[in-house]
Amino acid sequence: MSPLWGLALAPLPLAGVYLLKRAWDEARPERPWLILGGWSLLVLAIAASAPLLGAVRGPSAMLAIASTVALAFVGAGVERRNARKKAARELAPEPSDRRRVVWRGWLRGFLAGPLAGIAALGCGLAVAICAPGQIQSRMVIGGLMVPFLWAGGMAWTLSDDKILRAFAVLAGVSVVTLGAAFLKGTL
Amino acid sequence: MDGSTATVRAKPKTAGKPIWPKVPADFVRAMLAGHSALGLAFAALIYLVCFSGSIAVFTYEFNRWEQPAGPVLHEASPQAANAAFRAVLAKNPKAHDLFIRLPEPAAPRLSVHGDDAKGGEHTYVADATGKLAAEQKLPWSEFQAELHTVLHLPRAWGGFIVGLTGVALLSSLVSGVLSHPRVFKDAFAFRWGGSKRLQEADLHNRISVWGLPFHLIVSLTGAFLGLTVIIVGVLAVATFKGDTSKAYALFRGPTVADDPRPAAKVIDIAATLNAVKARYPDSRPTYIYVEHPGETGQHANVNVLTEGRLSRGETVVVGGDGKIRGEVGYESGSVGLRVLGAMTPLHFGWFGGWPIKVAYFLLGLGLTSVTSSGVAIWLARRRDKGRPAPRWERVWIAFVWSQPVGYAASALVSLFAPAPPVAVWGIATLASMGAAIAWTPLVISTRLRLLSATLFAGVALVHIGLNGGRFADPVAWAVDLGFLAAAVLLALSVRLSRPAA
Repeated sequence: MSPLWGLALAPLPLAGVYLLKRAWDEARPERPWLILGGWSLLVLAIAASAPLLGAVRGPSAMLAIASTVALAFVGAGVERRNARKKAARELAPEPSDRRRVVWRGWLRGFLAGPLAGIAALGCGLAVAICAPGQIQSRMVIGGLMVPFLWAGGMAWTLSDDKILRAFAVLAGVSVVTLGAAFLKGTL
Repeated sequence: MDGSTATVRAKPKTAGKPIWPKVPADFVRAMLAGHSALGLAFAALIYLVCFSGSIAVFTYEFNRWEQPAGPVLHEASPQAANAAFRAVLAKNPKAHDLFIRLPEPAAPRLSVHGDDAKGGEHTYVADATGKLAAEQKLPWSEFQAELHTVLHLPRAWGGFIVGLTGVALLSSLVSGVLSHPRVFKDAFAFRWGGSKRLQEADLHNRISVWGLPFHLIVSLTGAFLGLTVIIVGVLAVATFKGDTSKAYALFRGPTVADDPRPAAKVIDIAATLNAVKARYPDSRPTYIYVEHPGETGQHANVNVLTEGRLSRGETVVVGGDGKIRGEVGYESGSVGLRVLGAMTPLHFGWFGGWPIKVAYFLLGLGLTSVTSSGVAIWLARRRDKGRPAPRWERVWIAFVWSQPVGYAASALVSLFAPAPPVAVWGIATLASMGAAIAWTPLVISTRLRLLSATLFAGVALVHIGLNGGRFADPVAWAVDLGFLAAAVLLALSVRLSRPAA
């Protein structure tokens, strides 16, 4: 089936985003229906792409096309403001103001980088070696878990003010998972 | 994502019952702190990897643009592939391996890649009969692809750094989403002008939210592809006493025993392709990797692609006797193998023709601008708080616009001089960064954009001037048109971003 089907389906996400924008613009009685209709069209576009473009290829293509269409729509609605006139502001969320202590900075970097990486690698390795299923599937799923868990560990350790707690958890996970993987030692 | 969009709107909206659960302010502030620290630590790397990745989507098109004279083939007969293979093998009968690329819609060329007797690598393009027509030279295409995949560092290190950058990007996405409590309330707010911080925050948040599925996919697949060496290395230490080849062998399919004794006859590529075609009638062969040609242990790995699948293709192993030994399972094997087979096309957008490539290119540039605006928000926040960092403001804007300059300059020089594109790119990047010493951010941004526009226009015009009469491939025109469009858009962006008098 031609990849141009992806383009043929593009009006669906466009219409979906348009309905969501109308719902967003002002609170009117039909707002819940607009939201429901908008999301339904987005889901329909993804569902329709599967038989037309392939079970995995279709939704992947439609996600990319829908994101592009939505961004183009949002971009088209840009509100131009006078650069010389500063807008009044509410209190915006600000990053928490941490005390600047050198050792805490280095420890936080160590936790987010090497230690979160080792813990994630340990989890991936434990899945690859200890989980049931076909070897290649275990390796790929374990491998895919590594960047995801590392990223999660990074986000957590960089935002958690209690860094000793993060250190204890990551060190514990590393010891348990790597220990299990190396103790078993065979695929 | 930045929480600083929580500002007074021009058109006040009636407050309704919030859909999203109330996120504690302390949690948002802590997430923002982590998001900010990570983003700043990896900003330059993420920017470079995202920018180069957006360009690398069109690697096949750049290959065609660099060698526009052809021969352009929409298909090649098995006999032509065999003739081209033998012609290249004749240049170095002791070649360890040869790589035959068959014509496909994205790359309509028949080419054979191999070593010469001194170890130098060459690629030749062949015509419809398999006769070698020219040597393929793709310095700029290879430069831009390698900048994205390994940053022109040794493969293991470069891959690791790019993979780590993918992890940092993925982590930024996680902390960004968690630190954005107004994801629905601000879903369509996009204000330009007025407060610099508000403008950059709107740009940052809108692209981040609406492009989130794409951002997650490319960062996860990119991190996985980059970290493969480390993951497999540790796995090999745990299970194979450090022998990584045993770990990789699990993904290579049936093996053909290495036997260096001379074979009675060299492997017949035509017979190989016919055998594969008979077994896989609904698939299209895309490339053949011939190992140890002329030896008893010679064999071919034939990659076949099934239309409609999100896959790099199935690898079929064929012995020197023309008998199929089996397949790896990228299209028909376990879930893991199929996921692995989908990784590269999913990362680069090579699975849905030009509409997906264009979408990936635009979304990739969007992600690049998210990185750029993230740092701009931090700088604007400092300025708003009375702690401006003027030197970093100049350095960052110079780095941001150094990349279009570096890419355009390296492409232009590669058209008429044998200078390595990576060296030209490096010099152009450093020279652009030098602008940070002398000019204000606005002047740096304006001048570097105008310089990029001039260089991009120069690339297109010089390319047409040098090759215009010999364009056998229409994609060469499309790429030149793309360069001209980039030049026009960059020049227009200068005009549009000029502050109102």
